Amino acid sequence: MTTIEAPPSAIVTPPRSRLDALWAALAPRATMLRALAGVLTIIGTYLPWATFVLNDGPYPEKSTLNFFVDPFGVTGYRLHLLVIGIAMIVVALVKLPAAGRIIRGLGWGTVAVSVINILYLTIAGGGLGTITASDGSVAFGAIVALLGGLLAVVGGTAGGLGTKPELTWKLAWWVEWLILLVVFAIVLFLVAGVLTSGGQGGVVNPYAGPVFLLVLGALGGAISALSASGLLTWVSAVSERHRLFSVVVLLVVALLLPLTSAGTEYWMTVAANIGVYAATAIGLNIVVGLAGLLDLGYVAFLGIGAFVAANLSGAAASEIGIELPFPLVMIISAVVAGMFGAIVGSPTLRVRGDYLAIVTLAFGEIFVRSAQNNIGGLTGGANAIPNIPAVSAFGQSFAAPLTIGAVKLPSGVLYYVLIVLLVAAVMLIFANLKNSRLGRAWIAIREDEDAARAMGIRTGPVKILAFMIGATLAGLAGAFFAHKTGVAAYDSFQFIQSVTLLASVILGGMGTIPGAVLGASILFVLPEKLREFTDYRLLIFGLALVVIMRFRPQGLIPDAHRRAELAPDADDVTPVVDVKK
Amino acid sequence: MLSTLLSQIINGLVLGSLIGLIALGYTMVYGIVQLINFAHGEIFMVGAYGGLAMFSYLLPTALKNQWYFALPILLIAGAAVSVLVAVAMERLAYRPLRGAPRLAPLITALGVSVALQEAVRVFYPNATAALPFPNIFVPGTLIIPFGDGIPIRYSAMLLVVVSLALAFALNSFVERSRMGRAMRATAQDPDVARLMGVDPDRVIVLTFALGGALAGVGGILYGGLYNTVNIDMGFQNGIFAFTAAVLGGIGSIRGAIVGGLAIGLVKALGGQYLPGGTAYDYVWIFVVLIVVLVFRPQGFFGETERVRA
Repeated sequence: MTTIEAPPSAIVTPPRSRLDALWAALAPRATMLRALAGVLTIIGTYLPWATFVLNDGPYPEKSTLNFFVDPFGVTGYRLHLLVIGIAMIVVALVKLPAAGRIIRGLGWGTVAVSVINILYLTIAGGGLGTITASDGSVAFGAIVALLGGLLAVVGGTAGGLGTKPELTWKLAWWVEWLILLVVFAIVLFLVAGVLTSGGQGGVVNPYAGPVFLLVLGALGGAISALSASGLLTWVSAVSERHRLFSVVVLLVVALLLPLTSAGTEYWMTVAANIGVYAATAIGLNIVVGLAGLLDLGYVAFLGIGAFVAANLSGAAASEIGIELPFPLVMIISAVVAGMFGAIVGSPTLRVRGDYLAIVTLAFGEIFVRSAQNNIGGLTGGANAIPNIPAVSAFGQSFAAPLTIGAVKLPSGVLYYVLIVLLVAAVMLIFANLKNSRLGRAWIAIREDEDAARAMGIRTGPVKILAFMIGATLAGLAGAFFAHKTGVAAYDSFQFIQSVTLLASVILGGMGTIPGAVLGASILFVLPEKLREFTDYRLLIFGLALVVIMRFRPQGLIPDAHRRAELAPDADDVTPVVDVKK
Repeated sequence: MLSTLLSQIINGLVLGSLIGLIALGYTMVYGIVQLINFAHGEIFMVGAYGGLAMFSYLLPTALKNQWYFALPILLIAGAAVSVLVAVAMERLAYRPLRGAPRLAPLITALGVSVALQEAVRVFYPNATAALPFPNIFVPGTLIIPFGDGIPIRYSAMLLVVVSLALAFALNSFVERSRMGRAMRATAQDPDVARLMGVDPDRVIVLTFALGGALAGVGGILYGGLYNTVNIDMGFQNGIFAFTAAVLGGIGSIRGAIVGGLAIGLVKALGGQYLPGGTAYDYVWIFVVLIVVLVFRPQGFFGETERVRA
């Protein structure tokens, strides 16, 4: 895309397409457009959004991150839009580097919020009348805000996006520590807020889905604006400088989640499930993200781990009926899954690319079919293996509530703590592997297998190791999963789960840790929140895969190397040299 | 005993010719754009639902019982719906990704597959459960007087005859016609084909359309044979068809049919004679798939393995 720099007289390149010509024509009025966008957004905020109260009670009022209580007469998404609108005006008038890019990010956020509202209100309210006019009342709020958002996108692009500044501030170490502490505390509250926003989905709260999406939309806009301002890059550079400190604080922050608004049994369960899939996704990330071997049957390893654990933990339905201590069970599950990983990986010696994907799919299907048919009496077939005993340590069952002194914690907290530690361990393994000789060998194979072989990498064993290690991590997660849910059933490990895991790795960004965690969180929280849209869940999911591959194949948090390869337009690329120093 | 064997062989050949028909779509698309069009199985499924919709909502009641009217109309409707979806899929999902890294189109194909399946489930009336499919051909069963008697349904014969005829027609199209030559040229080397005046985009659309048409016809024949359709039929049979295409040698029309017949036989005979019975017949197909891919990825009729990056 051609970028036209800020002073409109200095047009760098002649307009290439009709769109570029439009940007050039609008460039002189960019500041006005941007301010107007902010004003429109704010006006939209204060207009009514629906012409009547929906059946399930007043809709917008429930849309709130619960730590903001009604400061400006508006709550929820309206408050978010108000903040965004003010930010737009400020950024439009104050001279900032990359102002256009910031405004564009905010604009997309506004567009997302208004579109989600329009869709939900019209569908749930029955027709366009809901958002325009009926019964003499007018509710143009959504449309005005949408216009504001679009105008921000247009104005931001027209005035020149500007280049993302590289902030190089260096402060005293303790100031940087303080900043990191504050940032991580904010992250903790955001995570808790986003997770609980809209409340529990389903019958309990019919608005959970749209409210959650609204929060995501607003947050996405805010994050892309922050990222455009260069602040995010700076913060991550700072945390890179204090690596150990950041890791420790992040772990503590994760362990503190039960003390926030998310500290109820329900959210702890959701968080623990996310943890299981995040750990599995990181394992898959080794195979797909690092070694570039597409695995379409990966969830089988989670299943193998779960079934092994189910059989060794004294579940009554198990035909083996021995009961081993949980840590041992985990290790055995991981080892068995790893062995299967080596088996599934062995065709990689001869098969490449798409064919390998199909081979792994076939293994996955064989696993599901066999589990469904209760192969060897090990999987319980259609009855599954129920009543797997909960983990317990020091006389404290992990499924029971916990009281430490005066603090009462809901049940499930211990499982949450366990999975946080597990995910942390998996992350540590991944990070170390990635930077090891083996990790570099995987990346070399991903980039060009023949060249890697020519450089002296023994590609065969290295590829099998990728499968083995990935499967081992999934097996660990599977053992946890079996104990946490208490059931190991074949239908938790079907093809669609493999696709979802793969999608979470891709959505997050292949080859990165935060990417896999973010992707897994999004893809496994959404169904919780969108209970009333269960029917459309997979449809949207499939379409989303297509759209992501089309517009952002590198994922939300791309790996530096991959970013250079996959980025669709050059202006999003940070040169690899800068990142690596 | 012998008659069981024979009737299982016949079952296998019937299923096999259906799988071969679907496999033609895989093999053509893969031959030309090197893409495993994962969603091809769903094209087959969509065709069956298209035909069912035609029968349930559009076809005048007077014609419903006259198979010589209803059958051609359903076949055309099924093929039309499938072609439409296949071409739309190519234009919207795959074409923008041409030249993208190799994982991208495959993942897109997975997405398209999930989306199509769910679209039918959500938007087709009552598609959450399996739907009955009308008998579109002469009802009843021919019993070959051999041993205990070997039953063959007339609709099964129809399926075999139509499948083989279509495969033959496709083969002559690709071998003889001008457009077929363009297809073969594009498969061999798209760049040189373009230099020779072939428009690769047109060839690719045509390939998807042809594959879609065959799959759509297959969907109707499947419905007519089993008298039931469900949204999973595309995924299952799609995987089998892919296996068949690889087994026969991907890119080869003859291979797709032979591979399909082989897969059909594996399923029917494996379900009868191998341990585990019919509960494991799918497993045997996947085992065959793995063994073929690992030990003879070029299949029966394929050229020696091309090294792909």
